[in-house]
Amino acid sequence: MAEDLVLDTAIRDWVLVPLSVVMVLIGVLRYFVSKLLRSSQTPDAKVVREGQLILRARNLRAAGGFIPVKSFRARRFYYTNEENGLLHVPKGQAQNPQAQMFSDPNMAMDMMKKNLSMIIPQSLTFAWVNFFFSGFVAAKLPFPLTPRFRSMLQNGIDLSTVDVSYVSGRSWYFLNLFGLRGLFSLILGEENAMDDTQRMMQMGGGFGVDPTKNLGAEKDGIDIIQHEWTLPKMEQRAEMVLRKLVK
Amino acid sequence: MVGATEEARLNQLESQVDNGGGGAWEYLCLVRKLKARRSEKVLRHGIFILNSHIARSKLGGEEWTLYEQVAVAAMDCHRNDIANDCIEALSKKFPGSIRVGRLKGMLLEAKGAWPDAEKIYAQLLVDNPLDQIILKRKVAIAKAQGNLAAAVEYLNNYLETFMADHDAWRELAELYISIQMYKQAAFCYEELILSQPTVPLYHLAYADVLYTMGGLENLQAAKKYYASTINLTGGKNTRALYGICLSSVAINQLTKGRNKDEKDSADLQPLAAEALLKDYKERAPEKLPLVTAMLRNIKLVS
Repeated sequence: MAEDLVLDTAIRDWVLVPLSVVMVLIGVLRYFVSKLLRSSQTPDAKVVREGQLILRARNLRAAGGFIPVKSFRARRFYYTNEENGLLHVPKGQAQNPQAQMFSDPNMAMDMMKKNLSMIIPQSLTFAWVNFFFSGFVAAKLPFPLTPRFRSMLQNGIDLSTVDVSYVSGRSWYFLNLFGLRGLFSLILGEENAMDDTQRMMQMGGGFGVDPTKNLGAEKDGIDIIQHEWTLPKMEQRAEMVLRKLVK
Repeated sequence: MVGATEEARLNQLESQVDNGGGGAWEYLCLVRKLKARRSEKVLRHGIFILNSHIARSKLGGEEWTLYEQVAVAAMDCHRNDIANDCIEALSKKFPGSIRVGRLKGMLLEAKGAWPDAEKIYAQLLVDNPLDQIILKRKVAIAKAQGNLAAAVEYLNNYLETFMADHDAWRELAELYISIQMYKQAAFCYEELILSQPTVPLYHLAYADVLYTMGGLENLQAAKKYYASTINLTGGKNTRALYGICLSSVAINQLTKGRNKDEKDSADLQPLAAEALLKDYKERAPEKLPLVTAMLRNIKLVS
């Protein structure tokens, strides 16, 4: 184990604090910019309808035993018949979301705005941090850690002898990026603090999910289940309940 | 739906505010969160806050939410003048807002100017054809005019798209019952049972509809759903107990005792009758003879 490293106080004054302050300021700025750019999007009737349809079909699958057989069969037919069942998607009609995106300029526009408020500042700050602050130790954690954290905390330092509790400049940037949510919720109010990680997830979810696939899966699920009416059991149980009550 | 603990908290806050203990804003927030309908109190305390500059400026941006809440409460209490003032203030602050437009429509509704209200809603729907609240307001207008058929039609259109909205299903079920279309009402209650299978009220209402429709099969199903209501409420629901007694009597009349299926649960009806008598003995002893006579008439107790 090497001797303890001594960190220059100038590192604290010129790297650690400014980096955090800049991250906070950028977060706030980005919040306002995205608020300006946000267009109130009107949901598409078809999309809403499909979402609700899936909810309802899921209910049928989960609680089908609570309604009589006849009603259950009627519903199943209504959802899954091959002619005009609600969950039945005719072949070939399944829309390719990418094609849909190109046909709808609004969607592309939304995507671009999202990118503007998220990717651009992020890549700019990352480039800036990478240029100025990478390759040296910026802080020391007051507690020891296992070597597994090395890749997380010492990004940009390729030395295996440095103790893991030292944090590199670039890693400090990442810690700030993902850890400032609490602070934003204090500054901007509870629901306004959108986590960057959340945003990334949304971006990922936006691409390539085919709603018709969900419908198809739900249809298969409903086709499979057997109807078992739970109500006859209820009668016996009610008897037990009443017997206890009368006693 | 308001849970028991939340209601207790609400009542406690209400009495505190009524007796001058402060906390009016917390009370109003809670009412809004629980969607409780206590318009008189909301109106009184809300107006008090709105009239004092100091209290109002403390709210910051929430002030406008309060204006909206008070406006709706005022309409509910038929103080259209107050509602009008609130809406004026709001539309000065947010010109062209859909929410304010909605309030204007509601004010017209409160005044009974149905065609004007419908015109406003139609305009708002052009911009935003999927506004759930406005679509529901249209149902409310039709219902208020006594045009139940139109209300049913609007509601059906609404449910075409928002088919997982169980409150709408419940409203539709009640509408169907009031125009005596029991089959359709039964369908709606099935839908409600599917979406929330543990709510005893839906089982009870479904059983009522089945019993009303009559016929051996329906009666047997009705008895089963009364039984499940008893199961879900722990036997505390008087209506379900009566339901068991009446439906089993009706079944016996139809089958003249030749029914084999009912053998398994033959004990259910005397037990229900007994539970009913016990309940009356404890809670309303003066009505006990009436119930005993009634049960004796249908030969459930000797």
